[in-house]
Amino acid sequence: MKHFIDPKPANIMHIDLNSAFATAEQQAHPSLRGKPVGVTNRKVTDYGCVIAVSYEGKALGVKVGMRIDEAKRYAPNLIVLESDPAKYKHMYLKLGGIMKSYSPKVVMKSIDEGIIDFNGTRDTINTRPLLDIGREIKQRVKEDLGCAVRVNVGIGQNWFLAKQAASYIKPDGLFQLDSSNLIEYYKSKELLDLSGIAERFEARLNAVGIRTVMQFFEAEPEFLKRHVFRSIDGYKWYRRLHGISPDPDDVTTKLGHVGRQYVLDKRTNKSEILLPRFHYLCETTGKKLRFQQVDARGILVWFHYDNGESEVWRKMFRTRFYTDKEIYERALLMFNRRDTSLNVASMGITCYKITPSTRNQLSLLDDIRKEEWLTEAVDEVNERYGNFMITKLSALEGKKVVKQKIPFGGTRYFELLLKRA
Amino acid sequence: MNPTIMINERVDVMARFRDKGNYQTLCYPCLMKYKGRTIEFTELGLRHATKQGTRMIHVFDMSDGTSDYRIEFDAEALTWTLVAMIENGQ
Repeated sequence: MKHFIDPKPANIMHIDLNSAFATAEQQAHPSLRGKPVGVTNRKVTDYGCVIAVSYEGKALGVKVGMRIDEAKRYAPNLIVLESDPAKYKHMYLKLGGIMKSYSPKVVMKSIDEGIIDFNGTRDTINTRPLLDIGREIKQRVKEDLGCAVRVNVGIGQNWFLAKQAASYIKPDGLFQLDSSNLIEYYKSKELLDLSGIAERFEARLNAVGIRTVMQFFEAEPEFLKRHVFRSIDGYKWYRRLHGISPDPDDVTTKLGHVGRQYVLDKRTNKSEILLPRFHYLCETTGKKLRFQQVDARGILVWFHYDNGESEVWRKMFRTRFYTDKEIYERALLMFNRRDTSLNVASMGITCYKITPSTRNQLSLLDDIRKEEWLTEAVDEVNERYGNFMITKLSALEGKKVVKQKIPFGGTRYFELLLKRA
Repeated sequence: MNPTIMINERVDVMARFRDKGNYQTLCYPCLMKYKGRTIEFTELGLRHATKQGTRMIHVFDMSDGTSDYRIEFDAEALTWTLVAMIENGQ
């Protein structure tokens, strides 16, 4: 029981584009290949954040999440480009297309990675060893996406092990984890090498005497549940580590809140500068709500100031809302409460208490119906001529400077993002 | 730090359409006239499509061996625009 590993074959394949955004830029710009390249989500300034970095940049010590000025200390010749969502969508669709040609059971976990579940197809269409199929996929990616684009392919018995296998050799790796090599693999790894274990979970594991991956692997599920994770996650980790069937909960995410945030290029306390940006954040948040077909009842507004202080306000409302006007009017109440003597460094708005939309229900009140019709009409025009073609005058300045960000996790807003791109 | 030079100018382009071949290279620009200079493209970096409202725009990232050019073809207006370039990867 101690070393139990599910004996079923490794039929899950994890595919991960290497340094996806940076590689896409190197593919598009041959003159940048072999050079340290970073991608940022906004105008290229020292304050920008590096959201992707090429392998050449990583080799010099540049990491995702660094500020550009910090990254330049590691790589003075770092080339930084603004993100290009349409380009990344192209890669995403192409990669998804290749994956779907092998199995109907494909899940794109994010913009640059996905899972192919080969279960049920091995006796008919995918009879070759999965390592062969992995090599073929790598070749097809090169042909369809370009010679600079590389993928890591990992094969395992469940999603977790497939992802671990994909990260075993980077870049351009291909590796299979199964019952024959899993123990050896665990012996060579540390807790922080496991996908999903960061410092906090490591500390929890250490606190109960689990200091190695093997000890984690040998722990009983009940022990993990009661003493480490104190939730059903204990069982989930047991299943992941032992190769027990895929856990769809791994990607099921509930839409809990919808919002936008913005880091100012120049910190200021001037309302005439802050308000158009704030108004635009409200409009993009409304767009997201409508895109997701949901309404909200709560609004949270926050400001971070340049002296390190922060202010947060939240308010629940009796009625649901989803139009730009409703969001802006509610958020404005909180905007006006901020400390106007302090310079704002960043600000954000979040709508919460999300419920499925009720906007198909006709209202008896004329004013509400007009507001809904206007919102629908504006959305339709924007859909046809490009997003935010029609926008409130007071948000116009914000539209010029607030850039849309590339979503890191899911692909939930990708279509919406592309309409704006 | 960001070597991209924004241009956004209409340009003369000679393009090639092929009846078969790799998806990426079914159609691509071969020559471009810009500021009196004829630029011959030697490599297609990436081709992807995007939309501006309902207008389909095909984006070609091309290279002449030293510099990179982003050229957009508006499939509705039938125009080519040199959007941006990166000179010598600098």
